Amino acid sequence: MTDLVSVLVNSLLAAGLYATMAYGLAVIYGVMRIINLAHAGLMMLGAYVTLTLFDRFGLDPFVGLVVTGPLFFLLGVVLHRVVGRRLPRSDAGPSMESLLLTFGVWLVLQNLAYYVWSGDTQSILTGYTLKSVAILGVRVGVPSLLVFGASALSLVFLNVLLRTTYLGKAIRAVTQNRDAALLSGVDADRISATAFGLGTAFAGLAGGMLSTLYAFTPDFGRSFLLKAFCIIVLGGMESVTGVAVGALVLAVLENGLAVYTSVPTSFQDAVSFTLLFFALVAFPQGLPGLFSRFVRRGALH
Amino acid sequence: MPAEPLLSVRDLSKRFGGLLALDGVHFEVARGEIFGIIGPNGAGKTTLFACLTGSLSPTRGEIRFRGKRIDGHPSPAVVARGLVRTHQIVRPFREMTVEENVSVGAHFGAGRRRGTDALRRIREILERTGLGGRAKVLAGTLTIGELKRLEIARALATEPTAICLDEVMGGLNPAEIVGAMGLIRSIRDAGVTVLMIEHHVHAVLGVSDRILVLNFGQRIAEGVPRVIVSDPEVIAAYLGDDSVPVLGEDA
Amino acid sequence: MRALPASVGAVAAGAALAAPFFLDRGALNDLWSLALGVILASAWNLLGGFAGQVSLGYSAFLGIGAYTTVLLSLRGVDPFLTLPLGALLAALFSVVIGLPAFRLRGPYFTIATIGVGEAVRVSAASVSFTGGSSGLRMPAGSFDFQLNYYSMAILAILAVALSAFVRRSAFGHALAAIRQDIDAAESLGVNSTRFKLAAHALSAAVVALAGSLYAINFQYIAPGSVFDFRMSLSIVLMPIVGGVGTVVGPVLGALVFSTLQIKLLAIPALRDAYLLLYGGLLILVMLYEPKGLVGLWLRLTARLRSSVPAPGPEVPDAG
Repeated sequence: MTDLVSVLVNSLLAAGLYATMAYGLAVIYGVMRIINLAHAGLMMLGAYVTLTLFDRFGLDPFVGLVVTGPLFFLLGVVLHRVVGRRLPRSDAGPSMESLLLTFGVWLVLQNLAYYVWSGDTQSILTGYTLKSVAILGVRVGVPSLLVFGASALSLVFLNVLLRTTYLGKAIRAVTQNRDAALLSGVDADRISATAFGLGTAFAGLAGGMLSTLYAFTPDFGRSFLLKAFCIIVLGGMESVTGVAVGALVLAVLENGLAVYTSVPTSFQDAVSFTLLFFALVAFPQGLPGLFSRFVRRGALH
Repeated sequence: MPAEPLLSVRDLSKRFGGLLALDGVHFEVARGEIFGIIGPNGAGKTTLFACLTGSLSPTRGEIRFRGKRIDGHPSPAVVARGLVRTHQIVRPFREMTVEENVSVGAHFGAGRRRGTDALRRIREILERTGLGGRAKVLAGTLTIGELKRLEIARALATEPTAICLDEVMGGLNPAEIVGAMGLIRSIRDAGVTVLMIEHHVHAVLGVSDRILVLNFGQRIAEGVPRVIVSDPEVIAAYLGDDSVPVLGEDA
Repeated sequence: MRALPASVGAVAAGAALAAPFFLDRGALNDLWSLALGVILASAWNLLGGFAGQVSLGYSAFLGIGAYTTVLLSLRGVDPFLTLPLGALLAALFSVVIGLPAFRLRGPYFTIATIGVGEAVRVSAASVSFTGGSSGLRMPAGSFDFQLNYYSMAILAILAVALSAFVRRSAFGHALAAIRQDIDAAESLGVNSTRFKLAAHALSAAVVALAGSLYAINFQYIAPGSVFDFRMSLSIVLMPIVGGVGTVVGPVLGALVFSTLQIKLLAIPALRDAYLLLYGGLLILVMLYEPKGLVGLWLRLTARLRSSVPAPGPEVPDAG
């Protein structure tokens, strides 16, 4: 029974972070139909920036998030101007060009990180990094708790943004029906820039949070990118709730595996991914309508 | 008249979420017929073709072709069985030549031709559809009229028992329409049963043996042109649709 | 798209085979690497270029070939006899992945392959049977550079020939149809899944053969080298930079890459800049010329040709 509680508690905590991670990918895809592989690089960058703020200015990593968020939003807008704009926006779905292009950006970001910070493994150690707290009889690390708090806050803030501001509503509109939204006067360029900014900001935030939980190198980010992708496929990307649900499912799956089976940790990623991969195939019509955009069969012209 | 119809459709329905695109459609097509399908915009005609040839899976219903059920089967299987369709909005392989486009149908359709045998067949079809001189040209550079003929040529190359032509006359001028009607008759005369969706009602009336009328996904009427033209329900269905010329004896 | 005459290919092949008589060991090593690049790029191009299904997980096949060879050689089997088995295993694995993966559309398929590649690497590094993360070494006394060079060169020639043959064949046309409009292809009778699986298996087998030769030449393999994501990356970048979907593109791409690699290694400061290089190239190609060097060439020559008056007006429709 304590096993189950442990799984649930840990999953909930992890889900918050996963949702933050996944949302960054979801918003760019939803608005621009671009699969942003640079997302992994941006998360990595977020971790490094947080590290620098911590080492150089003594800024607590969680406080540093307040800096990282807006900073990365600006970075996203710049990236959009430089790179994102020139991409062919095919409404028939994401293009290979955008995938490979963002992939190229990811590689460049990695190399940048190698130059600036070297390839040594880094980690952030604060006074509370090794402390833990008991929740419902389960020992939980303080950083995990703080990460959950930070992600919950960001997601609530995001939700408010999406529902009350003009830009937020425009983003939701474009995600659901691009043509209709554009016809009603939404400025495509501004929305795309905002989406890119938001996506990058969330990548940076996620990276900052990840830096408090894991050690990292410039190569960091790939497995998290894959998780983000799995989450989007599971939960859809049209709402923050959808992403949150997907994040929870993935977190439960992983924690369940860790607790109930004897699969070694190094294997875990491989196993979770494989399981999700086959779930995708077993239930192609299953989870929210988004699947019809992912899987071939029954295309209507 | 053979006992078993070539194609028989029973209670065919297709639902897309909240929209019922096809509702209990039923009809039969005999071998060697030219079977026309007409109806106002949005009546479900293209959806019907998509279900027949496997592009879509029906929600309910039965489709029998040459004695076997094909509903829900994927396109390649249906084509192998001898039923093929053209697309209303042409879908050429733009980076391949006209000849190569047709070869895809010849190699992988019901005919499964190879080598020089296939080449001969391809050349024949190109001549018949008036594309003989354009064989080595890239499909991406063809005019719309030529592209429509390429759609037909490709489908014919699969050596079908029956072909579903989806609005092949769309956008053609009167002279071209006459030519298209001639081509359709020649396809039937060569032994291929023809189903055709058409908006040019007078052309359909002129060339079809029998006609099916659809509206809002439902079958309104089925019969010979003469009877269809004077069917009050058919007339009512079209009265609201300005895009269709008035039905009458003049073609 | 006018193909290069076969005579050019024949000359290049002849030069490759005659090289050991004229070049020193260093240059031959570079040629060996070039040949490896040509094989990997051409093989990947069968699925990625012709059929348009971009897989970023090909390191898995390279690794399967390499590991099969080493594991069997360590048990006393002649290394070269292990080649067919490695190819077969890779082909089988490609089908196992392909069956579910090909149900995903374009870019999602690509992302799935990243995952598969990673899963394979992690597995190889975690299992002691494969030597774990420290890898495996070939048994002593199995190294013969002359033999290694010739086998790689011959495989490269065969890979390009295969590529050319597929392109002109009915199989190749089916793949091209799948790439350009998969639903239209299906509506003409092309069972797209079957063809994708076939192209996948064929290319996986060829890549595995290269992997076996790689193991035989380097004598030591580890998950970090053969199964690494960077390997999957270079395999994809060569044909993309050179020109996907053509026969000559992958060869050009391999040429560009090996030249750049050699130049990079010579300048100590730039030695680790390969990511920047790969990334930068990808960005440039995708932004300005998605069809790679071949595309660039065609665009330039088309511009030259358009300055010559076009042949007469179109023949009016026969109606």
